[in-house]
Amino acid sequence: MKEIPDKNLTGLSALDYFREINRTFPKTRAIQEHKAAGKKVFGWLCTYVPEEVILAAGILPVRITGYTQETELEDGNAYLYINNCSFSRSCLQMGLRKEYDFLDGVVGGSTCDGARRLFDVWRFYLNPEFFHVLTVPRKFHERAHELYYHQVEGFKKHLEEYTGKAITDESLLKSIEVMNQQRKLLKELYELRKLDEPLITGAETMEVLNGTFRMHKEECNSYLAELINELRKKNQGHKARARIMLIGSVLNNPEFLKGIEDLDTIIVTDELCTSTRYWSEPVVLEGAKNPLEAISRRYLNNFPCARMFPSNERFDRIIQLAREARADGIISETIRYCVPYAHDIPLLSERLKHEDIPLLTLDVEYGTSGSGQIRTRVQAFIEMVEARKK
Amino acid sequence: MTTSETKRNHIESLLRACRLVSRINKNRPDCKKSELMYYQMLDKYFNNVQRAKQENGFLAAHTIFFPVEILYAMGITPLHNEVTTWTTALLLGNQAEFLTAGAEAGMAPEICSPHRGLAGGFYRQMLPRADVILWTNLICDNSAKAGEYLMELNRCPGFFLDHPFGDTQEEQAYMVEELKDMISFLEKHSGRKMNWDKLAQSVAEMDKQIKLHAEICQLRKAIPSPFPTRRFLEFLTVDYMFAGQPEATEYLVTLRDELAEMVQQKKGAVYPERFRLMTLFVPPIYLIAFLENLFQEYGAVSATEPLFTYWKYSPLDPSKPLESVVKKSYLIPESRTMYGPLGESTLQDIRDCARDYRVDGCIYYAFMGCRHTCATVKMFKDTLNEIDIPVLTLDCDLVDPTINSQSEVRDKMEQFFELLEDR
Repeated sequence: MKEIPDKNLTGLSALDYFREINRTFPKTRAIQEHKAAGKKVFGWLCTYVPEEVILAAGILPVRITGYTQETELEDGNAYLYINNCSFSRSCLQMGLRKEYDFLDGVVGGSTCDGARRLFDVWRFYLNPEFFHVLTVPRKFHERAHELYYHQVEGFKKHLEEYTGKAITDESLLKSIEVMNQQRKLLKELYELRKLDEPLITGAETMEVLNGTFRMHKEECNSYLAELINELRKKNQGHKARARIMLIGSVLNNPEFLKGIEDLDTIIVTDELCTSTRYWSEPVVLEGAKNPLEAISRRYLNNFPCARMFPSNERFDRIIQLAREARADGIISETIRYCVPYAHDIPLLSERLKHEDIPLLTLDVEYGTSGSGQIRTRVQAFIEMVEARKK
Repeated sequence: MTTSETKRNHIESLLRACRLVSRINKNRPDCKKSELMYYQMLDKYFNNVQRAKQENGFLAAHTIFFPVEILYAMGITPLHNEVTTWTTALLLGNQAEFLTAGAEAGMAPEICSPHRGLAGGFYRQMLPRADVILWTNLICDNSAKAGEYLMELNRCPGFFLDHPFGDTQEEQAYMVEELKDMISFLEKHSGRKMNWDKLAQSVAEMDKQIKLHAEICQLRKAIPSPFPTRRFLEFLTVDYMFAGQPEATEYLVTLRDELAEMVQQKKGAVYPERFRLMTLFVPPIYLIAFLENLFQEYGAVSATEPLFTYWKYSPLDPSKPLESVVKKSYLIPESRTMYGPLGESTLQDIRDCARDYRVDGCIYYAFMGCRHTCATVKMFKDTLNEIDIPVLTLDCDLVDPTINSQSEVRDKMEQFFELLEDR
């Protein structure tokens, strides 16, 4: 059953629904009802975790994120030390403060140092009923696909042992269908951002994306379709003096994007694990020996994060996206101590310079709103970008 | 001249420093034969690096935990990036120059200092230009991400060795295939062929070396502990730089025999031995001599380093050289304890070491550039506190002296020794 918000906050009822989900997270009605029905809820962290397999086991997958506002991270600092990224510390603190106590299981990938130690500490101190970390190769070659397929197969077996039920090809096909539908709808939503006058802002898009991580997929899809219809009926889009692409470390704080867009700019596309990298590729059944293989191929072939080799795979796709969305400039944010993204900066800067795409690099903390010095630097960048256009 | 104009090749300086230390050591009455051998090995190593560039050799710069035995078996000269950076810090004291160069090269401050330093070293041509860059994700993101930029700085090809996170059969088989690809890559770029007999010999040597490491671990359980804290790095470097080489075996045999003799004579590295310590992670390299003096003053000794020197023997098979190289990569203590999902086995190693080495306290050197180790500080501390072992956590950097001053370190150490004394 759909949750209808009390107030029409934006004039877009579907967007208000996503906002309501985010406002009540992690105690959303969807999660509470799912638990009340005796069903399981799993937290997943990192876009290399195949949600389809969790869904096919009849389990509600919920993305583990941290506080989407600036928060003192006393517990996170104490348990993960201050030199781990604030995203890991923030997620852990929510766990330690029992804000994720509804989770029956936690699933992650061996993606980066911050994430893998977050899993270690999470398991040690919070001891979830089900716990699984997949080995994610850093390459894309055929052998890496074979290894990752074994990993996803192992994960499926582990889930089957846990639930006592077989995960059938039929249930995998059904979950592929629903996830692909979500990806298709998000792609459509992103097309509306590429228009001369985008119909939705970057900050609003982030609110929608946050909602997708925290609700039943079918319900999410119906709201996404509704939102797209509502947006298409809008007479006017957003005019802005500069079109910006946002890239970099994990970020799901709409306020950060709003801070940039408040400077009379519009974020027309992005390359974040909470956005494009989450939805960009569908699962393709054609050519796969079974649904599980199709799933594992999709996840390893998906838009790569900075951990993957070679980095040019990521850079090429960033440039392609920037061109498609006609971005005037790119803002790259790196969470402090997010080493994979920090390492990419010198090479990426060179590539973008070669492509004549202006780049602003920002060091941020997860959950930051983008005020103060960040705002000043963005402002100067926008002025520079604007001047280039003239 | 501004610092950014520096283009001096520091290998020559390192060679001079090694020779100077060797000369000093020869005149030290307490200097052990193994210590003399170590500096001779370093001398030979950096001399080979120098010659590789002068005599049309092929120089492969590689990151930590890279299977160097493959290079030796192919007649390729290795240059260990991290060890070269920290040896420079230790022997030449010019780490600031490397770190400044790293910043100039665009290395963000959160990247660990040896990696910033080595990028700086190549950026300013303080290190010889490599013919090829080889790197692996064992053991952290810094290693995994270091290679591509180094390729750019050296304008050379490179190979990334993707080490799987776990140790299942499929993952080990994956790693074997990665090694095969890398050998093909090296054959293509170096014009040299893999000498499989030589690799098999290296595996046989590594098997002996792991046994020797494990024997040395046993000897260090003695009271008083025979192994001086300052030689901890030496112990690591021998495996990092000379794995599978006969001179490493010879060094370890000599060291084992020296320690056995000391144990038999009940001689300790410090006299009187008052505090037996566990060391977690690596002490600041630029403070090694200072720490040694401080430990001597207080009668403290690092009796065990479970994350770095706690080898457990498991046989390698020379008839299956690549499988053995892979197996060894999982046996390295840092890899065994800190890579892959960190769980009960690592915690049990720490408890076992605390008990078997009868430690009074533990010092955790929280190297601020190393995220994956610092994230374990609380877990390890809680584990040790459960068995009544106090832990001092010391924020520091491996090579950057700006994080913590010598006097701060002294104050904290002294307070910790007082606490141990009171207990």
